[in-house]
Amino acid sequence: MTGNAPLRLLLGPQRPDVTIAQALARSGIGDAPIGVISAAWQEAEGDIDDIRQAVARPLTDLHLYHRAETLFAANPALHEAYRQRQDRLKAQQRLYRLRLRQLMIAARATLTADGERAMLAAERRHAISQLRALDQHHLRQVDKINGRYDDRISSESNPQLAEQIAEVKEAISLVDTVLITGGNIVVLLNRLRLFGLDVLLRDKNIVGWSAGAMVLSERIVLFHERLPQGRRDAEVLGKGLGMLPGVVLLPDAKQRLRMKDELRVGLFDRRFSPAICMTLENGSWLLYEGQTLIDSESSKRMTRGGKFKRVRSA
Amino acid sequence: MNPVLRQLIRKGTPDQGAVDALLRDADFPLLNDNDVTFVFRGSADAVYLRCWISGLDTAQPFQALPGTDLWVTTIELPKGSRIEYKFEVVKNGHKELILDPLNKVVAHDPFGANSVCQASGYVRPRWTLHDPVASEGTLHKVKVESEAFKSAREIQVYLPAKFRNNRRYPLLIVHDGVDYLRYASLKVVLDNLIHHKEIPAIIVALIQSPDRLKEYGGDDRHASFLVNDLLPFMAGGYPLIDTVDARCLMGASFGGVASLHAAWRFPEHFGSLLLQSGSFAFSDLGRHRRGPVFDPVARFMNEFREDPGRPAERIFMSCGVYESLIYENRSLVPHLQGKGVELRFEEARDAHNWENWRDRLRLGLSWLMPGPAWMVYD
Repeated sequence: MTGNAPLRLLLGPQRPDVTIAQALARSGIGDAPIGVISAAWQEAEGDIDDIRQAVARPLTDLHLYHRAETLFAANPALHEAYRQRQDRLKAQQRLYRLRLRQLMIAARATLTADGERAMLAAERRHAISQLRALDQHHLRQVDKINGRYDDRISSESNPQLAEQIAEVKEAISLVDTVLITGGNIVVLLNRLRLFGLDVLLRDKNIVGWSAGAMVLSERIVLFHERLPQGRRDAEVLGKGLGMLPGVVLLPDAKQRLRMKDELRVGLFDRRFSPAICMTLENGSWLLYEGQTLIDSESSKRMTRGGKFKRVRSA
Repeated sequence: MNPVLRQLIRKGTPDQGAVDALLRDADFPLLNDNDVTFVFRGSADAVYLRCWISGLDTAQPFQALPGTDLWVTTIELPKGSRIEYKFEVVKNGHKELILDPLNKVVAHDPFGANSVCQASGYVRPRWTLHDPVASEGTLHKVKVESEAFKSAREIQVYLPAKFRNNRRYPLLIVHDGVDYLRYASLKVVLDNLIHHKEIPAIIVALIQSPDRLKEYGGDDRHASFLVNDLLPFMAGGYPLIDTVDARCLMGASFGGVASLHAAWRFPEHFGSLLLQSGSFAFSDLGRHRRGPVFDPVARFMNEFREDPGRPAERIFMSCGVYESLIYENRSLVPHLQGKGVELRFEEARDAHNWENWRDRLRLGLSWLMPGPAWMVYD
């Protein structure tokens, strides 16, 4: 834990037990001040007294949510461009969901179908490749939408945004470690992008829990199989910050996934393979040095056969 | 005959000790795969099961179990069912309605309490029970001056946990709100659903009428109270999202009629309706047969059926299959769908009671007002 690459400490939900202090102590991340991004809490952003007490070191919230709200209020054109992008992203997600539903039904039916072995294997491979192709296509479309609006909501064309980014940059330069809390992942991702945090965070140690961990991955996968309206198939939301390629992070999996449904778990694993799908429960953590997993605690990974097995670090 | 009772009398007349042991050890009523047996012990001239289930006789007679002081009756009850009932005991010419002395499970309503029979497969939903982890919202009483009723009305307002004045919230208006709180655990349900992000944090106006059968039965004054008195009052005092789709009206029984009537009289004021076991009496020809209190309801419903308009964009309806109103509720579905309303209709193996309405709240509220659970990873 003394290499040059920055550390990425990923945790599960901090409830009912707050385990961040324990994980921090084992990670080798020093006890210097930490910058905090709690934008995923939206209006409750900055309510970090509990964490401050747990980690016992100075914390400074970067107030990304509040900064964006102030910026939007002062700059209607920026807000409008931002809103238009969100509307387009929502429309794109709806179309993706429409197609995904049919492909998932077909994939599940193929996986449970009886028949000649070689024929079934070929059909199953193809059903899953179609799912992967759709996920890839959706990622590209989301990227295009983001790209189209990047110019309109970039700091070059908005001095007020440039000013806010400079302040955030200054605040981040004062810390070696940034903590990203869980919460609403869409809000979090948007705020991180708006203020250029994908670049600013690259060389920092990062501690993230739940949504704060998911945003570090290359591709963000939304999932919840216990919603009141029934099971919903996992959806790719878009690109994350890309610091941890090849992983799909599943916070609070016991609550959100039907972990004993081998058909669903196996299909989930195969759909996102070669990425490794790993759970992050309350009390779990994964510690990366750069992109190498060096330590872990009670995290499990999905298997192709639809089970979960313990994650082993290097 | 239920296997437990068959066992009791397999060797002829059971002795008192065997009866005592049965009553001590068994859970009553006695559940079988698709039927349920009710047992009463005591001296009586006759005993009847009163369960107000559409499709069964109003009073189901018990049979005396020979050689014992037990009375038994068995009814068909499919898995997952839940019914409320009482025993009518006739003795010396007197009739008395009592709770089942052998069953501790009871449900309360504004008229008192009933015994509850939960058939195999019925489980009280977890989200209807207090969850110590869920942050609690608050309730407070306020008075609304009503031009429509020429008087002030006391209502209760639910504010979600972590309420903040600088946020904007959707509004839910609940008819018989105090009854929903008392008999359908509405506050616990709201706290739990909001905590688990299954619905968004919402503000709820809980109204209670002093004369619900009149005011909720298609009364224009009530519709005006909701739209011209209550909505401005709520908008003036609370941070609400000021769009139609962020306003939902809800009610059960006559409260369902009041919700539909107000949304019909004032279209484009409410984006969604949650209608539970609505008392939607109507007649295709001649008079309805539900009694004079339903006259104004039938007048409104007949008018509504002629010209439903589009009272709301989304409507969630639920009704128990053991209540006679299932006919009226099912009949309403095509009228609404024909007008392009996005409609979801849920039937339950239950009857016209508050726990039926409680058990459907999660599905209804989360369908009409989906929360951010999908996107929130705490």
